[in-house]
This record gives sequence, structure tokens and C-alpha cells, in this order.
Amino acid sequence: MQVEDRFSVSVGPDEGCTVVSVAGEVDVATAPELRNRLLEVISGDSPLLVVDLLDVTFIDSTALAVLIEALKQSDAKGAVMRIVASEPRILKVFSITGLTEIFAIRSSRQEAIAG
Amino acid sequence: MIDVVDLTIPASADLVALARHTASTIAARANFDVEEVEDLRLAVDELCVSLVHDNDDGSLALRFVRDDDTVEVSCTHLAGPSGQLDDPEGFATDDLSQRILDALVDEHGQEDEGGRRRAWLRKRRVRQQA
Repeated sequence: MQVEDRFSVSVGPDEGCTVVSVAGEVDVATAPELRNRLLEVISGDSPLLVVDLLDVTFIDSTALAVLIEALKQSDAKGAVMRIVASEPRILKVFSITGLTEIFAIRSSRQEAIAG
Repeated sequence: MIDVVDLTIPASADLVALARHTASTIAARANFDVEEVEDLRLAVDELCVSLVHDNDDGSLALRFVRDDDTVEVSCTHLAGPSGQLDDPEGFATDDLSQRILDALVDEHGQEDEGGRRRAWLRKRRVRQQA
């Protein structure tokens, strides 16, 4: 495994929203940690959650399921969740599963924060 | 020349990455381009994910077969010391996983072989290499 494939997730504020920055491979092994962090953030009061996947090198169905759950929980709280992704192979996974119709995906963090 | 690679790993989530890495190597030997290699990596990952479950003390037996420009991968779940068998009612199909496999490989399926669950896929190189 390359160093850049190592999974990490960090949470921080940015311009009035909460950004969850994810890096590395999000798969059946690492998706649970992402799930825990996302649900933790959603339980707070931030009206906008931005999930930054720009440094993600791999996602699978377990990662997508975590993101779907986070979206549902955000919706239930009346919060907005947007995803930042621009890597073609990551966008492809959203596309082939039809999830580009469900998630608000932006190509930069700035665009995701702005709307 | 045909390559046959057998890989047996504990049915542990953090070792599924080994199956992905093997898939990448096999795909490269089939002269898949970068996108096709990534497709196979993800497809093999989905095969494994469909067979791994919580507290699984079993193992996954993978077989990678490369014949010219076609790669076939099968993954069989083997019960561990606890003897925990797979759900006799059949596979719990995951819609997302199915959509991914439908899009990325030419054929895929699941079978029950004497109480052991087996998932498989076949992918042919599409793009001509320069």
C-alpha cells in the first residue's frame, strides 16, 4: 500500500460549516470509522456538512452506504450535506450507482461551501 | 500463457486490500489500461465484501485466472473453526454492489457450493493497447 492510500479522516470548521476531510482508501475496513465521525458531526448543530473526498483514492459500496446513511441523517436534521470530489475514478463510482442523482457533488471545497 | 493465482486470506475486512492488490497485478498482465485495472480492483473488492461478515473467523479463497486478455476471479467463503456456516437462505444481495459489478465487468454471479458461498466475475480487455 502506498503512503497516500492510508485512510484518515479529520473534522474542522470552515466558513460556518463543518468539513469532514477524508483521505486514502474508504472500504469495508475503514468505512466504519468514517461512519462514526460523520454521525458524530451530524449530531451537532452545523447546518452544512461538507464531505471532502479530494484525497480519497478508493471507494466501494460500503463507503457509499456510509455516505447515504449520513445524507439521510442530515436530511432528518434539516441540515445540508455536500460532497467534494473531482477524481474521475471516484466520480465514476457515484455515477455507475446512480448516486450522482442523490448527492450534491462539487469539484472544490469552495463551491461546496457556497452552494 | 495462462496465469493462475490462488490467494487465501482470513475473511477480515482489513485484508480485503490484499485481494485488490492482486487484482491490479493480474489486470496489468492482461494489458488492461489504467481505467480497466481500477475497474477490476473495485469489482474484486465487491466480490470479497459480499462474502465477509461480522465476527467472521473463516477465510476467503480467491482464484485469479488470466487467459490472454480475459481475467476471471472467483472468491469462495470457507468457514472457520467456529464452523459458522453461511446463511442457508441465500446471499444478502446488496443493490449498490450489484450495480457496481453490472457496470464494471462482463459477467458475474453467485453460487452456493455445498454450503459455501462463491462469487465470481469475468472481465475482458476492451481497449486496444497502443
